Amino acid sequence: MKNSKKQKPVKSNKSLGARINRYKGFYIMFLPVFVFAIIFCYLPMLGIRYAFTNYNGIKTPSFTAFANFKKMFDMPGFWSAFTNTLQISIIKLVLTTFIAVVVSIFLNEIFNLRFKKVVQTIIYLPHFLSWVVTASLFSLILAPTAQGLVNSFLVSIGVVDSSKMIYFLGSSKWWRGAYYIINIWKETGWQTVIFMATLAGLNTELYEAASIDGAGRWGKMYYITFPALKNTILTVLILNLAKVMNLFESAFVLQNDAVLDTANVLETYIYYQSFNSGAIPNYGYTTAVGLFKSLVGCVLVLVCNHLSKKVREGRGIV
Amino acid sequence: MKKKFIAMLLAATMVFSLAGCGDKPNNDNQGGGSTPASDTTPADNNGGQGEATPEPAADEVEKPSEITILVDGTVFTEANGREQFIAKLQELTGIEKINVIQPDHDAYYDNVGQIIAGGDWPDVMILSSTYYSGYAAEGVLWDMTEAWENSELRQRQIAYDGAGVVEGMYIDGVLYGMPAARGNGCVTYVKQAWIDQYNGGKVPTNYAEYSEMCANFVANGKYAVSAAGFVGGEAPYINYLPEFYQDAYPSFYQKEDGTWADGFTEDSMKDALQRMADAYAAGWIDPTTLTNGTKDCRNKFFSDEFGVFTYWAGTWATNLKNGLANNGVDSELVALSPIAEVGTYLDRIPPVWCISSTCKNPEGVFKYFIEPMQDGGEVQFLWTYGVEGVHWSTAAETLYEGTEQEKVYEEGQFHGLDNLETPGSQYTKAHIDPALALVDLANDPADESRASENLASSTLFAQNSRLAVLVPTTDEMSQYNGDLTTLKNSLIAKVVMGEMSIDDAYAQFEADGGAKWSQMIVDSLNNR
Repeated sequence: MKNSKKQKPVKSNKSLGARINRYKGFYIMFLPVFVFAIIFCYLPMLGIRYAFTNYNGIKTPSFTAFANFKKMFDMPGFWSAFTNTLQISIIKLVLTTFIAVVVSIFLNEIFNLRFKKVVQTIIYLPHFLSWVVTASLFSLILAPTAQGLVNSFLVSIGVVDSSKMIYFLGSSKWWRGAYYIINIWKETGWQTVIFMATLAGLNTELYEAASIDGAGRWGKMYYITFPALKNTILTVLILNLAKVMNLFESAFVLQNDAVLDTANVLETYIYYQSFNSGAIPNYGYTTAVGLFKSLVGCVLVLVCNHLSKKVREGRGIV
Repeated sequence: MKKKFIAMLLAATMVFSLAGCGDKPNNDNQGGGSTPASDTTPADNNGGQGEATPEPAADEVEKPSEITILVDGTVFTEANGREQFIAKLQELTGIEKINVIQPDHDAYYDNVGQIIAGGDWPDVMILSSTYYSGYAAEGVLWDMTEAWENSELRQRQIAYDGAGVVEGMYIDGVLYGMPAARGNGCVTYVKQAWIDQYNGGKVPTNYAEYSEMCANFVANGKYAVSAAGFVGGEAPYINYLPEFYQDAYPSFYQKEDGTWADGFTEDSMKDALQRMADAYAAGWIDPTTLTNGTKDCRNKFFSDEFGVFTYWAGTWATNLKNGLANNGVDSELVALSPIAEVGTYLDRIPPVWCISSTCKNPEGVFKYFIEPMQDGGEVQFLWTYGVEGVHWSTAAETLYEGTEQEKVYEEGQFHGLDNLETPGSQYTKAHIDPALALVDLANDPADESRASENLASSTLFAQNSRLAVLVPTTDEMSQYNGDLTTLKNSLIAKVVMGEMSIDDAYAQFEADGGAKWSQMIVDSLNNR
């Protein structure tokens, strides 16, 4: 039932000073957090002003108004990185979430506890590998040589000719597919944790009742497990959607010169602007790109919150 | 009451911890050596245009009592006996206190940027070519032209090495930094066994013979060449595949008439791309070159997957030989003289020691800190090998006793001691690589202990190399070269791998703005 009436806050008759004095213990406890947030979260934001200047870290920044933003919008490399960021992040998010849900449901159906634990441990482990190690590992596995596991297999079953092996990480056509698979391998296991926690909290009596009502395994999954997971799935999706602009390490370690048109994302674009110019970079420009990225991220958070209110009956996430 | 007390305690803890965060880096910079940028003016920098004043006599130059140096991991780190090294350096130079700021080696230039932006500049700093030319253009560095040109150091270098490396570090006629050694470069090594077995013992001297050799290697079921990428990440960019690049250069260079050009836009680059694309298609070049790191290449070389490897001269000749031997592969290597079309190998631009323009006594720092580093005597020995008893010894002793790598040394026999940070390996050098020194080091123990292949490749390289071009920094370069380099590298990779024709690549270069940015940078270099 919808509870459309919002409870109004009770207005206190006491003065602000009296109320502060009454709760001063809480305010004092809040003070360190407040100071921390000001120093480490808000003061650094002053650096935003460099987006409107030319600044190389030595001379006084010279005010250029929106020149850096104009340059940014004129650069094909920027737009390529921007669209790549959105596409790669969103597809990766949907894929890994979907597969994490499927894996969680399957894990939930395993009754042998020891086997379940072993499977869980095995699929969690890749999460703890660094991206650098992961990239090295998959460079070997996907190498277009006889040493490459995947190509060797494809050759052995006759799908690929030995003289035309597929360079999965060196071809724009194949890179994204390989990237998604590597991400699924690395992160799906860890993502199942949150879904497994939801499933663990489900009242087992629901399943017993369903069994009495004649529901089979699929029926129980459809009528109990899926609905129970729905809110969690949406929360995970929405929270992660707000972070889609933050993509660096995984893309950086797996990309190379030949795939930059499909693999370069905003954060790697900023990196190359800073360290690939053969000169002291214009930090004003990289700050402008960073600011734009943050603004898009901020808009996504607000959109997500709006969506969550619709989905979760008026209750937003932030 | 208890809750309030805990709250007070938490607040106090946070306040004190934050106060701790606000401390300035401890660089003990209170001496007379340097002052913050804010309260001094840059040294009088005549840009090399004014009249040279005679160098003051040595006794007229005041010796600094205290200096602050900003160094990377090529100087002994704290864990590697930095304290003893600096103490010895102070003793030998007579500088009473040398303060060292030494960030992590991997994050060195992040820290340099922060320190320079902060305005509290050290007296002396090590800079790579990019930062050297950038900071020189921004007035961060002291003009050491006069000090150098009138110095004994110059005479010593001329006598030993011709001083050509330092001459190559001039920017518009002004010298802002002093290399302590050559930058070194790569020579092409070919496995002797492969030459004998597959190429009839013939060592190539031109591209036709080189091509024939590659084809012969491939005909025997192996690819010929491997590299860490088709184009390098720093100047001179082409040093891992010189036989294919030949006279092409994918970045900015200065022509003989003094004007600047972008080699990527020239026909020589198109020819080079065609050679590489043909070689890749024919299977001469390792199919995973694009994603190789240098370590991948070395490992493949050691496991005999390919036979031609362009890699660093000098110490690496020995390392490659040992790596092959350890893998049970015939370790005999031929260091190729540059083939006719290549002409000369390229010497990497070395890092340089610079004096900041806010240093109070730059002449003194040059005279008593920079110059002695290459005095051919005690101080150079210290910079080359470190401290006796800490990094090296001549005492009779046995290292790694009872292990497979046991080494017995007699009294008087020079040897590196066990590494303090990574036990199990011996020190071989300090900041200056003895094989790359610009000044002859008296009684250099390396002269006797240096492996023949090390010496041979170093000599070959020294006799057949020229210094890569140092490109000055301009605003246009700061603005556009990041995008331009990314675009160039992407097109090179696509053409070589056969994903794009050369014409299409240059059409895209035009369409994506590359040609325009390139021209803007060239114009800015020519109009400085």
